[in-house]
Amino acid sequence: MNQNSSEQDQRSNSSSYGVYKISDSLNLHLLNATITIKRIDQHTFSYFREDVQGATVEKIIPVATGNLGIEVAPIRPLNYPARRGNHVFLQFDKEIYLRDKSTIDIFVECPIEIGIFLMHDSNHDSLDCITCDPVNSRFALHGSTDTGFLCKYADAVVRTSESFDNTAYTKAVMKISIENQLDSDHAVSKVVFPITNNSIYYKNSESVIDSLKVIMRKRGLVSIADVKVQPLETDWARSPAWEKSTSDTIMERDIE
Amino acid sequence: MEIAGGLTVLSLLFGGIIMAAGVILAKIIKMLFFRYYAPTLPKDTAKNFGKIIYFGIIIIAFLVFTSSQGIDFSGLLVAGGIFAVVIGFATQSVVSNLISGVFLMIEKPAKHGDTIQIPDMDITGTLLDIATFSSRVRKFDGTVIRIPNEKFFTSNIRSFALSVVRRSDAVVGIAYNHDIDDAISAIKTEIRLSMPFVLVVPAPEFRIEELADSSVNIHVFVWHPISDWGQAQPIMLKVIKRALDKAGIEIPFPQRVVWRSKEEEEEEEDKDEKEKKMNRS
Repeated sequence: MNQNSSEQDQRSNSSSYGVYKISDSLNLHLLNATITIKRIDQHTFSYFREDVQGATVEKIIPVATGNLGIEVAPIRPLNYPARRGNHVFLQFDKEIYLRDKSTIDIFVECPIEIGIFLMHDSNHDSLDCITCDPVNSRFALHGSTDTGFLCKYADAVVRTSESFDNTAYTKAVMKISIENQLDSDHAVSKVVFPITNNSIYYKNSESVIDSLKVIMRKRGLVSIADVKVQPLETDWARSPAWEKSTSDTIMERDIE
Repeated sequence: MEIAGGLTVLSLLFGGIIMAAGVILAKIIKMLFFRYYAPTLPKDTAKNFGKIIYFGIIIIAFLVFTSSQGIDFSGLLVAGGIFAVVIGFATQSVVSNLISGVFLMIEKPAKHGDTIQIPDMDITGTLLDIATFSSRVRKFDGTVIRIPNEKFFTSNIRSFALSVVRRSDAVVGIAYNHDIDDAISAIKTEIRLSMPFVLVVPAPEFRIEELADSSVNIHVFVWHPISDWGQAQPIMLKVIKRALDKAGIEIPFPQRVVWRSKEEEEEEEDKDEKEKKMNRS
C-alpha cells in the first residue's frame, strides 16, 4: 500500500513528455531517473542522467545556436538491456477463449522506454534512452532455439476497456482486436509482433500505441495467426522514431 | 632468334608483357572489388570472390599469351600426366588440404567471426578465415592458431553462432536443514532481479542433482541470447550465492557425522578415568 502510494507520488512529481527549450538549465524527473542539462559555455551544454540503479551517463552537447531544444518522448521498448531484435512478446495475465467465427477487442499495457531527442530544424537525433522499469525489461524466445527469435517480454494485464492506472513512463495502452476465423474454438494467451511498425503517441505523461489486429485463419492445412498494425487516429503528439521499420512483413506463426 | 618450338625472344618478351599486364589488371580489379563491392558481402564470400577474380584474370592472360604464340600443349600432355602422378604422391597432404578447403568453402560449417569449438583438438575461439590450405582461429587468450583444412574438415565442429540462444548452468549445494523450494524461489528472484540477459521464456530450470554427503545439490539452468554468454555464465554463481545469503540459506562445507557405539563410549570413559588417576598419583 505504502509502496503504491510512494510510486504514485513519484509519478505525480515527475516531468511530462514533450519539447523543452533550454536556455540555461533543465532538471527532469522521470519516475526513477533524473536528468540534468546545464549550459557550460555559450555553445556547449552538458547532459547528466542517473537512474535508480545508480548508473550514470554524461554527455557534452555542442550547439550552433544559443539555445538547446530536446524532446522527451516514449519510444519502443527495444533498447534495454541491449538491442537484440524488433519483436515484443506480450504474455496475457488471463487466457482469452474465443469461440469459432468470433471477435473480441481487448486493451493491454505494452512496455515502453523513454527517448531523449536533440532537436534541430525538423530533425530529431537520439541522445539517450532510458527505461523506468529495468527489472521487468527482459527477453523471451519465441519459437525453437535455432529458428526462433528473441523478443522483449512483458506480462500484460488484459482489460476490456481503456482504463489503466499507473502507466506513465513505463507502459503504453494498446488495443488488440482478435478475430477467430477458424472452425474451432481457441484460447489466446500471448501475442508476438514486430513493434517497429507501431507508432507511439503521447500526452503529458501518458502514451498510447498503434493497435493490432490478430486474425486466426487457415492457410492450407496450417492454422496461423496474422498480426497486422492498425494506425491510431489521435490528436496526441507522435513520438519520433529512429529505428528502421520492419517493412510490411506480417508475422505469421503456427497457432500453438 | 628462335629458342625452342617456334618461341623467339621477341615472342617471350611479348608474352611477358601480356602476363605482366594481366597481373596488374588482376590486382587493379581485385582492389576495386574490395573497395566498392566486398564490404556489402560476407567476409568469406568476398575473400573467395577476390581470389577467383585475381587468379581468373591471370589464367586468361596466360591463355591469351599461349594462343597468340600458337603454343601447342598436346606434346606436354603425356609428360604432364606422369609429372602429375609424381607431384600427386609428393604433395598428397597439400592437395588434400586444398580440396578440403574447397569443400569447407562450399559446406560452410562456420563463417568468419563465429565462435567455434573443435573438441578433438581442444580449440575454442573465433574463426578468422578459411583460406586455400588452412583455417585460422583466434583463441580467447588472443593467440591465433592455424589448422590445416584437412584436419578442420574432418573434425567435429561445435558452433556457438548457429542458435539464437544458449544455455548456461551452475550447481550449488544447500544444507539439509533448509527447504529446497525456499532456496529455488530465492535463486529465481535474484536471477530475475540482477541478470537482465536471462530469458523469461524459456524460464530458468532447477533440478535436484544429488542428495550428496554434505548438501542437497541443485543444478540451475538459464537461457540467454547467444552473444551474451559473458553476462550469464561467469556471474551466475555469484548471483546464486547472493540469493542464498539474502535468504539465510547455508551452503555447507563438506562434513561427516561420526556415530560411536555404547561400548566404544564406555571404553573411552574408562580410559579417561585411568589417565586421571595416573595423573593424580
